[in-house]
Amino acid sequence: MYQYDTLDREMVADRAAEFRGQVARRLSGELTEDQFKPLRLMNGLYLQLHAYMLRVAIPYGALNPTQLRKLAWIGQTYDKGYGHFTTRQNLQFHWIKLRDTPDILDHLASVDMHAIQTSGNCIRNVTADPYAGATADEVDDPRVWAEVLRQWSSFHPEFSFLPRKFKFAITASPKDRTAARVHDVGLVMRRGRDGVLGFEVIVGGGMGRTPYVGSTIREFLPVDQLLSYVEAILRVYNRHGRRDNKYKARIKILVAALGAEEFTRQVDAEWAKIGEGANLPDAEVARIRAAFAQTVFESLPAQSEAFEAARAATPGLARFARNNLKPHKQPGYTIVEISLKGSGETPGDASSEQMEVVADLGERYGQSDIRVTHEQNLVLPHVKLDDVPAVWAALKDAGIATPNINLVSDIIACPGLDYCALANARAISIAQNIAEKFRDQDRAEKVGELKIKISGCINACGHHHVGHIGILGVDKKGEEFYQLTLGGSGAEDASLGAMLGPALPYDKVAGAVDTLVEVYLRERQGDERFLDTFRRTGVAAFKEAVYADAH
Amino acid sequence: MKALTANRLSDGDVVFWSAGQWVERFADAQLYADDDVAGPEAEAAGKAQSTVVIDVYLIDLIESEGFWAPLSYRERIRALGPTNHLHHGKQAEGGAMVDALQHAHGAARSTGRVNLIKRTK
Amino acid sequence: MPTLIELKDGLAHAATDAFTYVADDQDMPGGDVIVSFGRFQAEGESLLSEGRRLGVRLEAGDAVEALAYDLPRLALVALDFPKFGDGRSFSNARLLRERFGFKGQVRAVGDVLREQAGFMVRVGFDAFVPADGASSNEWQAATRRYRHVFQRSADGRTPTFLERLS
Repeated sequence: MYQYDTLDREMVADRAAEFRGQVARRLSGELTEDQFKPLRLMNGLYLQLHAYMLRVAIPYGALNPTQLRKLAWIGQTYDKGYGHFTTRQNLQFHWIKLRDTPDILDHLASVDMHAIQTSGNCIRNVTADPYAGATADEVDDPRVWAEVLRQWSSFHPEFSFLPRKFKFAITASPKDRTAARVHDVGLVMRRGRDGVLGFEVIVGGGMGRTPYVGSTIREFLPVDQLLSYVEAILRVYNRHGRRDNKYKARIKILVAALGAEEFTRQVDAEWAKIGEGANLPDAEVARIRAAFAQTVFESLPAQSEAFEAARAATPGLARFARNNLKPHKQPGYTIVEISLKGSGETPGDASSEQMEVVADLGERYGQSDIRVTHEQNLVLPHVKLDDVPAVWAALKDAGIATPNINLVSDIIACPGLDYCALANARAISIAQNIAEKFRDQDRAEKVGELKIKISGCINACGHHHVGHIGILGVDKKGEEFYQLTLGGSGAEDASLGAMLGPALPYDKVAGAVDTLVEVYLRERQGDERFLDTFRRTGVAAFKEAVYADAH
Repeated sequence: MKALTANRLSDGDVVFWSAGQWVERFADAQLYADDDVAGPEAEAAGKAQSTVVIDVYLIDLIESEGFWAPLSYRERIRALGPTNHLHHGKQAEGGAMVDALQHAHGAARSTGRVNLIKRTK
Repeated sequence: MPTLIELKDGLAHAATDAFTYVADDQDMPGGDVIVSFGRFQAEGESLLSEGRRLGVRLEAGDAVEALAYDLPRLALVALDFPKFGDGRSFSNARLLRERFGFKGQVRAVGDVLREQAGFMVRVGFDAFVPADGASSNEWQAATRRYRHVFQRSADGRTPTFLERLS
């Protein structure tokens, strides 16, 4: 894991001190709300329906146990004893007081954490593959480059007042667990023909009112050219992105307006003028890389007798293993996904007690390495198979052993109208209603991989555009209605969902999803996932079934 | 009927104007008839209290179980708390007014906030 | 009159403005003036031939490249912030310094707030007309909030990755 040195710590401390001063000037009236709002947003502080919300940065979704314990403590001390993990690998506290935030930032700084640039018209948290460093299928550890970008983008003097927010995602695996193709810039790491590492640079993806899958503007950018190239992208965007209309201000709009070819030409022209001096010295990349190479694995047999025996004897563990364990590059190890989508729970929420349990497990069994996924779950990326029974037992005691990763009840949902000032409709209860229909775990496993994503409004924080089933809350005639889409994907086969039909009222949504699943089970061939069957058959059968039922 | 609401600057708590002060319970909010100029006057006065409250606006009300309740679902959630944790927020207090708010029907968005899309230039 | 703050040797001072800003429809006074880009294109040659010091004011959407040829003859470029959240002038300032090597005064005008003083200095502004009444002391303090910087920029401060090597 990247370890802060004195310089990193002083940066975060200086930021916390700056914000303390800004809060004081706001409370005294020296700063107006209009002047203060962008400043508090650049420290992740929103005003929501019930209170302020603080979005803590978890750079590329990576945490150590000390940090997770501090988050648990902050939840207990300043909030209502829980936190909410987001679709950008961050953590939100939903009941924060403005007057407490200077102290909270100081507490975060004490464990090398912050809320820097988790909101505002600036470069946001750079997200990366939550399996980084553990999966066999990556060409490099994307966290190295996420950390490079984190430092470069923090307090960037030229790019802190962009037309709108700016989001990077980095993946180094052919399986994209970051939704890179629907980010402002998605970086997909590859090896060139001569073995050199590089990025496919994809720009202009995004969701919201006008969703786009991004365009590849450079097929192969050698990794040592990263900073000069992104500087070119950001400069073109900063100078030419729209400033007249907040809803047309993302880079995706600029790329669409210019066309990918012209946009690329402008970036390349700017890049040529920037030159190589803007790149990071190899020594600094090596320093960062070395920090991530620290994990030491034992030499173990690929199979663990203890684990196999426990699995054979315990159906619950077997089910957990089937769904929540993912292959690790090191024999005898596994990646453990921890679902925060328990039956009746709020998707992505973890209580302070549960955070403590995960911190303890990470420390004892997980090389002190904990990750957050963009699908609002947690990961212990390095667990010995020998230790899985003990980990599972502890998770079970804490109520976070739900064996449903990537299944129908592993739903992504934004906080929605229960918390968010922007929302049209609730998302949390929709998720719970749907999950309730699939309580039967056998049925859920029979359905297989099905990614349902729910957004309470068009801002799409629930990533509904890339859900296999996407659900968007809309306001129709003053009531909560929901637009369903089918066939979206945020993975390497990225696509935007197609509308199913007219929006459905609140109490029809879970039933409609049930119907969609029934159609899928009826139509599927071989081992098709829901997404595959939809792509093969199209929307007709699904639409007919849902709207026939509605009459 | 209308009421005046805002969020308290220092802690973000939902508050309502009531005869000279900001109160936390919707039950205690001052009510204004739709054509009563006192409503907009209170709104203007509230907007001038920029070190006390932010986001000051009037909300529409409807009758529910003998009480006046916010018309819009959004404002009812602000007055009550989130629906996924009934022990969080002001609803934890319980009582007849909380029940009335929870049983009210009406528009999902506050009708006082329709002009959401602001064009700058 | 809004206060002019100038930065010299890393210190911010309140300064008397030697320049007069002249709107497009105003008669040209004597002395050192700042004019819009359009007026500069029309009258720049004649103004310079009178031996005045000349400044050009660019709007946020103007491209600093258009001035490149004339920069050696300009004493000052003023970059406007129509709203403090409009960050285009940060790019223009940085390009003026780093790409075009401009050595004259780069002045921030418009909705200029001390909360951005640090960023402005980093991209090469050395004069400011604050819109928030900030004094030069307050401006100075605002530019000193961060002991380190992560990136190279026009101010030449050593970035952390080079600090680490030493």
